[in-house]
Amino acid sequence: MAVHDDCKLKFLELKAKRNFRFIVFKIENQQVVVEKLGGPSETYDDFTASFPADECRYAVYDFDFITEENCQKSKIFFIAWSPDSSRVRMKMVYASSKDRFKRELDGIQFELQATDPSEMSLDIVKARAF
Amino acid sequence: MAQLSETYACAPSTERGRGILISGDPKSNSILYCNGRSVLIRYLDRPLHVHVYGEHGYPVTVARYSPNGEWIASADVSGTVRIWGTHNEFVLKKDFKVLSGRIDDLQWSADGMRIVACGDGKGKSLVRTFMWDSGSTVGDFDGHSRRVLSCDFKPTRPFRIVTCGEDFLVNLYEGPPFKFKLSIRDHSNFVNCVRFSPDGNKFITVSSDKKGLIYDAKTGDKMGEFSSEDGHTGSIYAVSWNPDSKQVLTVSADKSAKVWEISEDGNGKVVKTLVCSETGAVEDMLVGCLWQNDHLITVSLGGIINIFSTSDLDQAPSSFSGHMKNVTTLTVLKNNQKMLSSSYDGIIIRWIQGVGYSGKIIHKDIPQIKCLVAVEEEIVTSGFDNKVWRIPLSDGECGDAEYVDVGSQPMDVSLAISSPRLALVSTDSGVVLLNGAKVVSNIKLGFPVTACAIAPDGSEAIVGGRDGKLHIYSVSGDTLKEEAVLEKHRGAITVIEYSPDVSMFASADGFHESVVWDRASKEVKLNNMLFHTARLNCLAWSPNSTLVATGSLDTCVVIYEIGKPASSRITIKHAHLGGVYGLAFIDDLNVVSSGEDASVRVWRLTQE
Repeated sequence: MAVHDDCKLKFLELKAKRNFRFIVFKIENQQVVVEKLGGPSETYDDFTASFPADECRYAVYDFDFITEENCQKSKIFFIAWSPDSSRVRMKMVYASSKDRFKRELDGIQFELQATDPSEMSLDIVKARAF
Repeated sequence: MAQLSETYACAPSTERGRGILISGDPKSNSILYCNGRSVLIRYLDRPLHVHVYGEHGYPVTVARYSPNGEWIASADVSGTVRIWGTHNEFVLKKDFKVLSGRIDDLQWSADGMRIVACGDGKGKSLVRTFMWDSGSTVGDFDGHSRRVLSCDFKPTRPFRIVTCGEDFLVNLYEGPPFKFKLSIRDHSNFVNCVRFSPDGNKFITVSSDKKGLIYDAKTGDKMGEFSSEDGHTGSIYAVSWNPDSKQVLTVSADKSAKVWEISEDGNGKVVKTLVCSETGAVEDMLVGCLWQNDHLITVSLGGIINIFSTSDLDQAPSSFSGHMKNVTTLTVLKNNQKMLSSSYDGIIIRWIQGVGYSGKIIHKDIPQIKCLVAVEEEIVTSGFDNKVWRIPLSDGECGDAEYVDVGSQPMDVSLAISSPRLALVSTDSGVVLLNGAKVVSNIKLGFPVTACAIAPDGSEAIVGGRDGKLHIYSVSGDTLKEEAVLEKHRGAITVIEYSPDVSMFASADGFHESVVWDRASKEVKLNNMLFHTARLNCLAWSPNSTLVATGSLDTCVVIYEIGKPASSRITIKHAHLGGVYGLAFIDDLNVVSSGEDASVRVWRLTQE
């Protein structure tokens, strides 16, 4: 399973220059490619809406929040979107390539696997970040 | 945000032929009893605030406060004793596996250092005494051959433990370390309860042979007995001393409780007989008692707790009760703000918000209830046979019931609210339309039907099947015409409900998903209602049709708002130990839920 160079480049841009809020990746023709980029003003709801309800995806999301000591912090989440209504073959492909893909992206702090929209709701993300 | 505003607690679980033990704390004016896997702490001056301890893995049999009121020791049928704190969220101090079978009685020593537990077991382990913090055994307890029903510690020096059981024996042990001293064989039937007087001079044993015997606490010599005139005519199940050691309260299977005066030479004479029989049936047999401060508390087999006041024994007692089993259905009667809850053993209880227990409706024709719907003037129920019963309700009293046989066991019953003579009953093979008590038509649908709903005006019906499909039919006369089939659910449909303004309907399934649909366009109105983790049991709409509440086997209640995304929901976690089975809205801000722990709880919703 190859990883397209664009994926790594866009991820480094998100980390260093912070010009994307999220990136959604898709597996196409034995390769992981970038499917969608989200601008810095997009919200978590826009992010949730960009997932198809019956196909698997990978995504990274840059979560900004303010801690108890009043400092602005930012954590990068990796989300493996594997809905129950997607085909088993697709779930298998995404599951087996996830580890290798994650290793290519250096700097992920938290990982989340979601099988339906309730598992990646904003309060779960917030609970993990704090 | 949702806050618990009232709890209508369950009644103690009782068993025919055995007594139960309730205990209390005079300082905080509370009583302790057990139902299923929960221990309930009820405050006699605040009956709507109940604390529940649900940490046991097996049904709990007895719970007692320690002498200083700080700890509670509770025991269950697996032989485990858990010691936990009264305050500080019931923090567990220690738990011990004490006996190899069920524990029937448990007592603290007067200094709170030792605990004696007795019950059923194999061979040697019928009674054990241990240190409360370390669990190390203090003494050998031979001498019983069958189940030991009760035990007690002498509160003053020299310390004694007395035990009694099904082998008709009363054994006395002295110590510590406790050793067998003597055995008393004066009873001719099961000895149900033994209690030392608070001053430590005497102890009383009561038995199923209808006698009560009084002994000297130090030597074990028989001093006297309850006089036979005016005595009990049935097995005596429990005895409780007055704090000044001069009087005792006994309860018996003859449905009466008696207050006896115990004289210095050890003879007992009846002072007063308290009868609290309502229907004169088996349910009125009294199985438990407690004398605390100025209150005499008796518990009947049917779960009714009566509180008499010692200052005026002739005054009628205040009584309250609750369910003893899983509360499977809950409805709210709109015009008089009463709630009706029913459990599968056929008991229907009325509750009033702010007051609590308001009466039981027991109908002799209805032994078991599976589905129940109610409108102002009547109740429609079905049980585990093929009958659907209609009972007229006027002012809370039941009239004569009429029934109709629908051919096979009803799975769900729905009433057309605006014309309540029309009812739709779903069975394993189809649906049955009822008008009054007559079957209008019996329609075989070809798929197993699990849930159904009929529109308030009776013109439309929605039927859900085991395959998760929703079929919408229009009703004309006695035929159903299929209009649409909706496929979204991934599990068997468990509940379907129309919204009060009839513009929407909501359905819930066994796969922890629920969906709100628009009635006219058959489109999904609220999606992603997936925040439960187990089968959904019940669903309710708020009167203004903006909120939907769902209750599930995962013990949570989730409230969604139409118009907002499903993720901005209000979750009530651990609403009922074992699962939530009944839900209803009292008004737009108050939700009432009921569940397997036999309690009914009212929650108040507040805007954040």
